[in-house]
Amino acid sequence: MNFPEGILLGLSTGAICLAYCGPVIIPYLLGENKNVHTNFVYVSLFLSGRLLAYMIIGLIAGIAGTLFLQPSGFNIKLIGVSYVFLSILLIVYGFHRFKEVCLGKTQIKVTSGYFKNRPYVAPLIGGILTGLNICPPLILAVTKAASTHDIAGSILFFVMFFIGTSLYFIPLPFIGIFKRQHVLRIIGKFAAIFAGLIYLYKGLFMIIN
Amino acid sequence: MMKQPSVYSTTGNLVKTLLLMIPMVLLVFVFITRGNTDFSSPLKLVSFLITFVFFSGLFFMILYTGKTNRYRAIGFIVLASFFALTFIVNLITMRGSMSFSNNNFLSCEIPFCHIVTTMIIIPAAITKTIIFPGSILNGFASIASMLVIVIGISISIGRGFCSWGCFYGGWDDGFSSIGKKPVIRKVNPAFKWMPFAILLIIALASAATLSPVYCDWLCPFKSVTEFQKVTSMEIFFKTVVFISLFAGLVVVLPFLTKKRIQCSTFCPMGALLSFTNKINIFGLRIDKDKCTNCKLCAKTCPTLSIDSNDIEKGRPSFTCTKCGKCIDKCPKNAIHYHVKGTPENKNHTLNRMLFLFPSFTLLVIFTGGTMQQGIMLLVKLFTTGSFI
Repeated sequence: MNFPEGILLGLSTGAICLAYCGPVIIPYLLGENKNVHTNFVYVSLFLSGRLLAYMIIGLIAGIAGTLFLQPSGFNIKLIGVSYVFLSILLIVYGFHRFKEVCLGKTQIKVTSGYFKNRPYVAPLIGGILTGLNICPPLILAVTKAASTHDIAGSILFFVMFFIGTSLYFIPLPFIGIFKRQHVLRIIGKFAAIFAGLIYLYKGLFMIIN
Repeated sequence: MMKQPSVYSTTGNLVKTLLLMIPMVLLVFVFITRGNTDFSSPLKLVSFLITFVFFSGLFFMILYTGKTNRYRAIGFIVLASFFALTFIVNLITMRGSMSFSNNNFLSCEIPFCHIVTTMIIIPAAITKTIIFPGSILNGFASIASMLVIVIGISISIGRGFCSWGCFYGGWDDGFSSIGKKPVIRKVNPAFKWMPFAILLIIALASAATLSPVYCDWLCPFKSVTEFQKVTSMEIFFKTVVFISLFAGLVVVLPFLTKKRIQCSTFCPMGALLSFTNKINIFGLRIDKDKCTNCKLCAKTCPTLSIDSNDIEKGRPSFTCTKCGKCIDKCPKNAIHYHVKGTPENKNHTLNRMLFLFPSFTLLVIFTGGTMQQGIMLLVKLFTTGSFI
């Protein structure tokens, strides 16, 4: 297996990966309204979640070849369930400490205790759930990794793929340098709720249909 | 509060108004004939004359009365109404229905609207393809022509497009103009940032799925233009979504709040054009010496673009659509059109004229042909009993 191939595949498809992961991590960064350093921590946690998910997928691809990850009724339902969890995470996060809207005020009582003491939970779980979703670059990676017929090789291919795609996430923490952080926070919260609704719809349709 | 006399030298001055009308009358003539004075049938001549008198009259009233929004809104609502009428009739003539089929989709026959611009930029950068089933150069509303229009307008009047050229905005402008007082008096100002969130998500989602997500799912104006033929549960669900959004955001909420709710809290194109306000030379300024902080402008602004902070800063938010409603309402004449780089709170008439000429011309360009065609269709309806 040519391992730089993993990095090259990641580099060539990373922009699409960013488009898939952006609706999850960008609203979070905007909504948290933190400086560049803290944003680096959040993006790193998000990427760690993705790495963990990719390694799991790599492991499955290595064990079962592409069979398990080929689109089938059962797998689509599983992805649907992960979409629903992701949507719940995004919607709850969107309303968390969103005191500018009335629904956000009621949500504070429910979520403040949890999210306030664990600010790193949302990006980490968001990263895992986003990583588990099957997007076109991931299908390409799965097909390639499964062809190694070796568990370690498959996982390593995914790690390389992860490195290639992660380069596109480097600019994200610099959202922290923008002025008007209060406005960006509101936009981030709305975006999280909106992205959550999209994932909820997609997830429910996958489960039902 | 007593209304102060107008600061514009054209107000009530017939000679000055008529002199300033001359270039606009010529522009109206040029743009509604489109350089082709073919009045071969009486119907064409009548529709031309009505359109010509209508626009010349509107501009005369804007200058003579000193009121901008009152007469702009009439032209803008006419634009939206006639655009919908002519678009739907053309579709039914060509396709036999307002809905489009998979064949229309695959043969790239879907007209490109300016809102799609928000969704094609990132995918075009990544994949070097336009993710819209329209024609690049040929046919009605081609992709290239709409992009040129959007770029041109962004440079000339910025987000003023939303109040002077958008062929959808007249719908919620119209419904927000019904009634004297709002039923819902306060709209949460945080919602004016929601279009930016929608812009962010649809731009990314369109890049991820390589499809125009907003057109596919959310655009309320599919109710008055075209939509996908209902052939599955999913398309039925999409239909319910866009009809509900049209009813809620374009009809009911604007009527209840007297705000342009769709434009100010939902439209991603409005969010994108707000950024062009930053580079555009026209803006509004609030003269803090004259302002008595009555906040009537904030209450009146249909797009939630003025709040206490903005009054303090002496300018509306960058989401301002330059409709002129706050200028018309201000009892102290403290708000004016302004040309960036020139002294503030001076040369009010000149600055207003410099803004009015390009923006009113834009309204004429967008409405002229549509209105003439619409009048001919209405005459056809009354004489034959059918549009087709």
